[in-house]
Amino acid sequence: MATANTNKKNRVRKILIIGAVLLAAAIGTAWYIFTDSFSDTAKEKAAYTFNAQDFIKEFQQNDSASNKKYAEQIITINGRVTEVEQADTTVNIKMADTTTGSYVIFAFQQQDIANVKKIKQGDSVSIKGSCSGGVYSDILETEFITFKRCSIN
Amino acid sequence: MKKTTLIIALGLMVSATFAQKKTTTSASVNFDATTPSDAMPKADNKTVVAAIDTKTGTVAFEAVVKSFSFGNPMMQEEFNGAKWMDSEKFPKATFKGTITNLSAVNFAADGSYKATVEGELTMHGVTKPVKTTADITVAGGTVTSKSDFTIVGADYGIGDAGGKVAKEPKISVVAEMK
Repeated sequence: MATANTNKKNRVRKILIIGAVLLAAAIGTAWYIFTDSFSDTAKEKAAYTFNAQDFIKEFQQNDSASNKKYAEQIITINGRVTEVEQADTTVNIKMADTTTGSYVIFAFQQQDIANVKKIKQGDSVSIKGSCSGGVYSDILETEFITFKRCSIN
Repeated sequence: MKKTTLIIALGLMVSATFAQKKTTTSASVNFDATTPSDAMPKADNKTVVAAIDTKTGTVAFEAVVKSFSFGNPMMQEEFNGAKWMDSEKFPKATFKGTITNLSAVNFAADGSYKATVEGELTMHGVTKPVKTTADITVAGGTVTSKSDFTIVGADYGIGDAGGKVAKEPKISVVAEMK
């Protein structure tokens, strides 16, 4: 009788321990997912590196194929700044194909904004960021490609 | 002589047409669908194309859905996924509208003006009418427009993820057009 009681107690204890471990794992996973944030783009490795004009041309030729290949990828773009444009309280950098008006535009992560504000039109820069893809603008009647969370190389 | 006059007249017409259309490729749209139980569904998009025709009062915005930048990677993925914005299928959100009290806004004189705007917002493949107000500032030929409004997610076929996401997300728009 005493042995049966001890076995029962041990089983309950085991179930409680397993339950507590599973609960802790679930809370840990949820905590990780909900508090996760994007890492500093400067520390990310670029999947591709392009000259701005070549990158724009590739989207102009076939934007659906380019979107499949490059959207949400970390990409480095090298090129000459054609415009530094005010974007609410921050600034964006733009590199345009001056013959067609098509352009690639970069919005920056918070920690890079102070350095971006020092960049001027005509400067040659190297920018790494998350490509959001390219679409045709009905307003401007040209192709444009956007980047987010960018960092100056 | 007549030919020269015609060319000059055409030239003036073309320059007038360009002067009345002001644009930016860096308008900013903030999206806030946070609730007391979830502070994550919040994003901004700083590469929105915007245009205003100061003569007719027409306004237009184009936002790439994938350009909305969230702090949390999972939330950004969900926002672009099939249950929410389905950005693969509907890559752009657009607004086309008109200032309905155009006489109250003097684009030729520096100053601050209150405009009412009515138009159509298209996102997730659904087009709905939107009416809002905008604070317009004219300074040295630059037109800055600021507007805040809410949308009903269900009107655009967007769910509230079981109450975790606000049923009526707040949208804030800032556009500095030159």
